[in-house]
Amino acid sequence: MANGYWGYYKPAKPKEVKDGIKAKSKRGTIGEKWWSKRWIGVLKSFNMGARLGRGRAYARKGQVISIDVQNGIVEAKVQGVRSRPYDIEIQLTPIAGDDWDKVIEAMASKAIFAAKLLSGEMPTDIEDAFAEAGVSLFPKTRKDLDTDCSCPDWANPCKHIAAVYYLLAEQFDDDPFLIFKLRGRTKEEIIDALRVRRAQATGDTKEMLDDVPVDDIRPLEECLDSFWDAGDALDAIVVDPAPPVVENAVLRRLGEAPFSIGKANLASFLPKAYEVIGRTARQKASGELDEERYWDDQEGQGCRMNLM
Amino acid sequence: MLALHATWDIDRLHLWTESSVLPPNVPPVRGRPPKRPKPRPHPFALSGDDLHDEIEIVFGQRPSRIERRTLRLPATRRGPLPSPWLIREDYMPDEATGLLPWDVETLAFDPCAALDLLLDLPAHPPHGVAFGSSLRFWIETAKLSLEIVAREQFAPTVRAGKGVWVPVIDEEYSERVRILSIAQPPICRALSQSAGESTEDEDPSPHELVMSFIENTVDAFVRQSLETTDLLPPRRGRPTKVDPLPRQFLRAITTEDPSIDAPAEALASFSDEMTAWLDQLRPATPNAPFRTCFRLEPPSCPEDEDRWMVRFLLQARDDRSLLVPVEEVWKTRSETVTFLKRSFKNPQEQLLADLGRATQVFPLIERSLQTACPLGLELKTEQAYSFLRQSAPLLEQNGFGVLLPPWWEKPGARIGLKLKLKDPLDESGRAISKGIFGLKSIVDYDWEVAIGDGTLTEAEFRELTYLKVPLVQVRGKWVELRTEDIETAIEFFEERREGGEMTLKDAMLLGLEAEGQREEQGLPVVGVEAESRIGDILKSLSGKSKIKTVNTPPAFEGVLRPYQVKGLSWLKYLHRLGLGACLADDMGLGKTIELIAFLLHERESQDKPAPTLLICPMSVVGNWQKEVEHFAPSLEVMVHHGAQRLTDRDFAEAAEEHDLIVTTYATAQRDEAALSTVHWEHVVLDEAQNIKNPGAKQTRAIKKIGAGHKIALTGTPVENRLSELWSIMDFLNPGYLGSARGFRKDFALPIEKYRNEERADMLRRITQPFILRRLKTDPAIIDDLPEKVETKVYTSLTPEQASLYGAVVADMLDKIKSLEGIERKGLVLATLTRLKQICNHPALFLQDGSPLDRRSGKLIRLEEMLEEVLAAGDKALIFTQFAGMGAMLQHHLQEKLGCETLFLYGGTPKKKRDDMIQRFQSAGPPLFVLSLKAGGFGLNLTAANYVFHFDRWWNPAVEDQATDRVFRIGQQKNVFSNKFVCTGTLEERIDQMIEEKKKLADAVIGTGEAWLTELSTEDLREVLTLSRSAVGTGD
Repeated sequence: MANGYWGYYKPAKPKEVKDGIKAKSKRGTIGEKWWSKRWIGVLKSFNMGARLGRGRAYARKGQVISIDVQNGIVEAKVQGVRSRPYDIEIQLTPIAGDDWDKVIEAMASKAIFAAKLLSGEMPTDIEDAFAEAGVSLFPKTRKDLDTDCSCPDWANPCKHIAAVYYLLAEQFDDDPFLIFKLRGRTKEEIIDALRVRRAQATGDTKEMLDDVPVDDIRPLEECLDSFWDAGDALDAIVVDPAPPVVENAVLRRLGEAPFSIGKANLASFLPKAYEVIGRTARQKASGELDEERYWDDQEGQGCRMNLM
Repeated sequence: MLALHATWDIDRLHLWTESSVLPPNVPPVRGRPPKRPKPRPHPFALSGDDLHDEIEIVFGQRPSRIERRTLRLPATRRGPLPSPWLIREDYMPDEATGLLPWDVETLAFDPCAALDLLLDLPAHPPHGVAFGSSLRFWIETAKLSLEIVAREQFAPTVRAGKGVWVPVIDEEYSERVRILSIAQPPICRALSQSAGESTEDEDPSPHELVMSFIENTVDAFVRQSLETTDLLPPRRGRPTKVDPLPRQFLRAITTEDPSIDAPAEALASFSDEMTAWLDQLRPATPNAPFRTCFRLEPPSCPEDEDRWMVRFLLQARDDRSLLVPVEEVWKTRSETVTFLKRSFKNPQEQLLADLGRATQVFPLIERSLQTACPLGLELKTEQAYSFLRQSAPLLEQNGFGVLLPPWWEKPGARIGLKLKLKDPLDESGRAISKGIFGLKSIVDYDWEVAIGDGTLTEAEFRELTYLKVPLVQVRGKWVELRTEDIETAIEFFEERREGGEMTLKDAMLLGLEAEGQREEQGLPVVGVEAESRIGDILKSLSGKSKIKTVNTPPAFEGVLRPYQVKGLSWLKYLHRLGLGACLADDMGLGKTIELIAFLLHERESQDKPAPTLLICPMSVVGNWQKEVEHFAPSLEVMVHHGAQRLTDRDFAEAAEEHDLIVTTYATAQRDEAALSTVHWEHVVLDEAQNIKNPGAKQTRAIKKIGAGHKIALTGTPVENRLSELWSIMDFLNPGYLGSARGFRKDFALPIEKYRNEERADMLRRITQPFILRRLKTDPAIIDDLPEKVETKVYTSLTPEQASLYGAVVADMLDKIKSLEGIERKGLVLATLTRLKQICNHPALFLQDGSPLDRRSGKLIRLEEMLEEVLAAGDKALIFTQFAGMGAMLQHHLQEKLGCETLFLYGGTPKKKRDDMIQRFQSAGPPLFVLSLKAGGFGLNLTAANYVFHFDRWWNPAVEDQATDRVFRIGQQKNVFSNKFVCTGTLEERIDQMIEEKKKLADAVIGTGEAWLTELSTEDLREVLTLSRSAVGTGD
């Protein structure tokens, strides 16, 4: 409670934070994906001037101690010059329940939405889905955004809010569903709702491949007459340990993973693994890994067991 | 013997074993059986320590540990019933009264060790071990696990907070898992989940067991394969206390420790996202009646060569030929529509959802999704090619239907080579008519580059490549131009304008394999065209044209059946070409006389050919002598065998003077050096399966003996025993099938382990020219063959038998002088019985319960012949007049051949007798030993088509009557009756007398042995004394 009267401004170094959240990006913009940029764009539209840059510097330095994204609200702690960190709240006007239903409806009608979201991508025309319901995913005006900071700065948003805002953008990069969370729906709620819609669209989804219906199984007690009998099909099963038709088929079908290590997507580390593993299995199948015993040891194999 | 079983329990495989030497029963429990019986120790399951030792001896050292499990098995109050594979003599078939819990000690294997073990187990268990159905079941499942990994159908994910790999089970795998689950024997579910408390709902279903096995083994195999691979990028910057989740995850899926260290909440959300990511691999709507289908259509008119079309369709799941154009889908307004009588909910939504999913592997689709009602999309040729190569298989794996043009991936739709084989020319440019002898003969060839149906000149070809597109139309047909193929073809043009030379071996391999199967310098050989002589040879060898028939040599004393003449002609043809021949006719069709006729024929058409060396088992030496004597008395035969056999120079000189030298495998191995000094016209192996182990010393020694030409005779189905086939071919035509290792990789493993039909087919085609195998069931053979084929099997005595025989005769002659009347008669009759016993087996005479193996010439031969019977899946009766012999045979054959053998004698109770007959006539045991008195008449045993008379009866009518157990109404096959005769003994004398009397009036000879007792001492001496040829030394 020292320095606060009009006209007196003494730039002070904020207190250092030990394990603060640091922005991954060291220079340039924060937020790589288009939707994160879009988010930052909203912040920029508020004409914050220099505070924006200071906020970004705070984010990079690690002044933000914690961020907790709840439905419709972000609570954060940011270390400023004072000894006690400031409490920050960023609130977005939640989208009303019926409106969400409409959005989900719109999203479910185009497969591309759900498919992209699940693979960690925000569909480019996602905003159309919201527009169809008459709402907006990203805050449109200042009114949609209610920010509050316990710092003495008169300006809102202040640099602390901006720092949190930047870090949020980075989190959005990794998890686009966080944006929906800010508008009042968790990822689970959305996926479930989409699933329900899709189920309505395509029938029963409960039966996945893991639980293929298997013909009636007789209890063991009733199998006395066939207890040791294998079905004839056992001798007819053909196994062909051939190389895959298309390289990295599974990875291609999966696309980018929802996580990265450093700047590289998690999936980009896997082709090498598939190559090594597949090759090992094929060598095993072709007998290349066996010791030299097939032809020479048969005399040995012909030996009788001890206990007969 | 041991019966090996396997059971899967959550995360490990348990082996357990029944042993036939442990007692079958447990002490009965007094009083009423308890409602919930307590597990008792399994009385005849091997202890963990013994099991561990056995496995180590037979299958090598493997990481495992001893555990204990409770199994619910069919049982009576006396104990658990043995599995069908455990042959016990003291076993009385019994009805199980229910399931009872039994404790067994098991050998437990972790998933990785389990997979290794199951994949390493031999196709045929070693002697004395049987694989139970549960073990076979897990072997098959293990192969499926291996295929999933080999095809790279697995993905990483998080389960229960751990980083693991899971198999990607697409529609096709899911079908195979389903088939496996249905085929699973109930014994696989016998494991009690918790001792005594098991209820039905707790028991895992067959499907759950299979999936648990596959998931565990795939994860374990993948992890192990990555042991030396580090996927993690080097960390930059300061190390943090705890690694970020993705980094930890990567470590968890690549090292032994799958755990991830993170707060529960963070881990849960990470896990959710990974699961969502993996969910993309789930097939699209597997239960809808229709699935989305993509059809690639080539440009419809030549002007639009660059306009391909992928059309969207709906394909009925239950009938893939039913297709609905998507126009129909867009037209519909209602939620549910009916196409082709299948009702379909929200087809528009499903189609959209599917198209959305398809963008991942076929990104070009997105373009088409910009319209409201897309029907498909246009592709340029390049894009169409990438669709064919990349997107189509991936779409299929994603569960979509994909329809490709019919020419795609067909041999003709790729650049290939066409070979033209030419006869060698002499200096004046005329074809040399001689010069083909042996596989190393040189054949000239020309070649052309072929595409589609035709060939291309270099100019034409270059013109095509200038287009620089992967798909081109040649004479109206689409053809794939792979970059690597183009490069190879250009090299070919530049380097080999002139064609070249190859060996007959390579020419044959190329000519016999299916089109497009073999690659030459990286290009598939799509056609082989052969000129006159080479062409004729290839045609004859592949059975496409007939081999010239030769006449039965006049010196042959007998009549050859038509198929035997064919066999003779075939041997001659292969001999002329210098190609080793394997005559592999079924037992009983007369391979022996075909070879004898061949040797005679050779002597007629050729001036004094070099002698032939015949190597056979000891047990048939006598038979060969007899047969040659009978059918070809003009052939000079020398038996090279025994302590008195000739050595070195003496042998070589004597050999030159004979036509046929008969020796045994053991002697041939010992005398390899001496045998190699002689120039042999042919080396013939009878019962060639004796060289089935390529590594065995005997095999190696025998392959060293050189000859102008080689022949192998065998009655076992060589085509089913690939190591044997390789070894025999290696003897006949060294190098033709390549190295043992290469053969194993290219043929033995794919065919025996993975049932690869293509490989089996190719192997059949390339070996077929060298193997003549007629089955007794071939229609052409049946016509040639009498319904009942009677053969005498001549065997020798072992030295032990001979000395016993001599002693008994001497003893009688010594005593008989002082006897008269009834006493004399009694002594003669007793002696006859003893001699017959000795001919059968020393142990039958000595009654000392001593072991039987390798002590009787008859028994050795019987084992050999029965092996062929069993290999062909046939059934046999074995008659003996001695009940004691019958019991010994039953015991010995079960032990030696590892298959259950029934035994019926006078003392068998009627109920048991009926039970045995019923079992034999249905799918039951294949061998049935009967005492001549108890089983010689009245019974109907038509399941058998082989009859063996182990000893002779004085009255042929009795023997015929016994043979007729098999040869009667209901018999579908030809019947083969084999009468065993010990050469040089009383048995042969009796046989001769029967034959002579038969010739006279075909009448019945007396009523047995009485007439013998009337003979004078001198006559007796002559009849009974052992002749020199009788004995064979140990083999």
